[in-house]
Amino acid sequence: MISLLAAQVLNGLAIGMIYALTAFGLSIIKGLLNVPNFAHGAFYALGAYVCYAALQLGLPFAVALLAAFLVPALVGAAVEKLGVARLMRGPYLYQLLFLFGVALVLEQLIIIIWGTSGLSATAPEWLQGAFDLGFTYLPKYLVFNGCMAAVTIAVVWLMIERTRLGSQIRAGIDKREMAQCLGINVAGLVTTGFALGAGLAGLSGGLVLPLLGANSTMGAEMLSIAFVVLVIGGLGSLYGALAAGILVGLIQSVSSVFAPAASTVLIYVAMVATLMIRPQGLFGER
Amino acid sequence: MTTGKKIDRRTVLKAGVAALGSSLSGISWAQSGDTLTMGVLSQQTGTFAYAGDLVLKGAKLAIEERQEAILGKKINLLVRDDEGKPAVGVRRLTEAVSSDKLRYFLGNFSSAVGLAELEVARQEQVIQYAAGGSEDFTGSRCSPYTFQWSAHAYTALRATLEYVSKTLPDKKKIYTITADYAFGQSLLHYTQVAAKELGLQLVGNDNHPSGERQFTQYFTKALSTKPDIICLLTAGADAVTAVRQFNSFGVKNVQIVGPWTLEVEQLRELSPAMRSGMILGLNYYQDIDTPVNKAFVERYLKAYKNVPSYAAAYGYDATRTLFLAMDKAKSVEVAAVMKALEGMQFDSIFGPTSIDARTHQTVRPYYVVQCKAPDAMKNEFDLATIVAQGDKPQPAELNECKRTV
Repeated sequence: MISLLAAQVLNGLAIGMIYALTAFGLSIIKGLLNVPNFAHGAFYALGAYVCYAALQLGLPFAVALLAAFLVPALVGAAVEKLGVARLMRGPYLYQLLFLFGVALVLEQLIIIIWGTSGLSATAPEWLQGAFDLGFTYLPKYLVFNGCMAAVTIAVVWLMIERTRLGSQIRAGIDKREMAQCLGINVAGLVTTGFALGAGLAGLSGGLVLPLLGANSTMGAEMLSIAFVVLVIGGLGSLYGALAAGILVGLIQSVSSVFAPAASTVLIYVAMVATLMIRPQGLFGER
Repeated sequence: MTTGKKIDRRTVLKAGVAALGSSLSGISWAQSGDTLTMGVLSQQTGTFAYAGDLVLKGAKLAIEERQEAILGKKINLLVRDDEGKPAVGVRRLTEAVSSDKLRYFLGNFSSAVGLAELEVARQEQVIQYAAGGSEDFTGSRCSPYTFQWSAHAYTALRATLEYVSKTLPDKKKIYTITADYAFGQSLLHYTQVAAKELGLQLVGNDNHPSGERQFTQYFTKALSTKPDIICLLTAGADAVTAVRQFNSFGVKNVQIVGPWTLEVEQLRELSPAMRSGMILGLNYYQDIDTPVNKAFVERYLKAYKNVPSYAAAYGYDATRTLFLAMDKAKSVEVAAVMKALEGMQFDSIFGPTSIDARTHQTVRPYYVVQCKAPDAMKNEFDLATIVAQGDKPQPAELNECKRTV
């Protein structure tokens, strides 16, 4: 039983890092715009399809992953600059509806280009197979997935904590008006932040392609998990997104030992419990 | 300059009455004794979204074969989307029966929706020719008005596991991963029955919720029991995800077996390397060597530039069977057709086929296929080889149908 639990903890950590990466991007956008990005799931799906298309063209996996980051990031920048930014002065609801519309349009475009049938891609040869840990098998690709997500989060985190751009983003999140008064180009910052968030969602989609495949409904599925992670972690909290992502992955994986059929429901139970005990989320301030 | 007569209020009223009269006569013509209304109730959204269109394509071919008429009555084919939800299916069916005088329908590809529609069919006295994997259609909820096209879950499991136990005699330990709804639980029940009969050992099971996207934790758990076989008792998008993720483990000594798990459409979502070597149970595969099936595949290919699969074959064969029963009854009245269907023996796409008079189960073979390696495929449609077939019926003592003929 202990070895089984240990296996599920490792599995949960790897899955949780992907949730954390997706929610991390969502958290950056939520922090900068104060609007939940309803198109986040669509960027995630776009990343998976772009990765698939790149692999079909014969590009190396690393390049396909880079494309899975860059294309959604560019689309995200355009969406922010041409749409969200123009609706900034209007009621909050306008931005929300606009992003919802973007999600629907992106989903339809994906269907028009790639169809409704799911698509598969295999991981590079060196990432195929599993590590035999004696007490369990751990797919190499799952480990790679977790590590890639962890490294990406660390890099973005360092960028936010240690660079000038990062401190400007933090200032934009924490004290938007003050940052503007200090001469920081908040509009440009928001576009950059939105592109970064969308890119991270796209990268998550690219990373999960060999495990989950690409299908037109994948965005909606991941969006609901990303929002659960965001709520548990605390809206707009980057640390919260990371901790809650891992927590949700662990809940999903470990619960499968005791109550497999309840594993999906349990993450929502965790969200409700968090809201009841600490409505601002684990790392939320308000 | 205006030369026309002035249009007064009375003229407008007259025109209105005339228009209403002509539209009413249109409705009464559509429902007149010269038309027979049949329907396809299926889904365009949800896990089985792909299936709705295919059932319709199959049904249309069967209707075209009859020049869109039966016993002198023009066939009016209704299509309704149930969205994969039992409540929506029930509403759409009730509407179609009361507003459009629907008398026969194909529904449903999802057993959860089909079983809900079964009650409406009984109440409204219309004939349902159902598909789906639940044994309840012909078991505990058997009804005079419902017939089941898909093989019985026992027949499916027995055929699949019998092939496995014959060809892989050293593989005895089976771990099952089951969809947690009527369909999956029905398959699990008969996996237990067939495994016992064949001397196979079930070493564990996990139930997963519908729409599950993360299967690695189930495989981690399953592999810890050192099974010889992992039996996937799930379907649709869930099954595709499960196979894809099992593939990432790269475990070569565990055989994946999927009775009723993956149909042709889903197989195509997997890369050839991912599906290679899998043993699957299928209600239908295009290579079935019978005259009716060969003609059907040829016409389907010509019409839709694709090979038919389970959903399309269900649409075609169930509709065709209803027509054969109408021929036999020399009537399109529900009561007469129902009597004709009970115990009917006929040639279907499966060859000689019959319908059990009491349970209304279509007695037909179930097929076991093995997926081809990428280099063995002759073309994009050539996904698998039929390696066995079985038609062992459900043991009578396990049938819970209370009807007597």
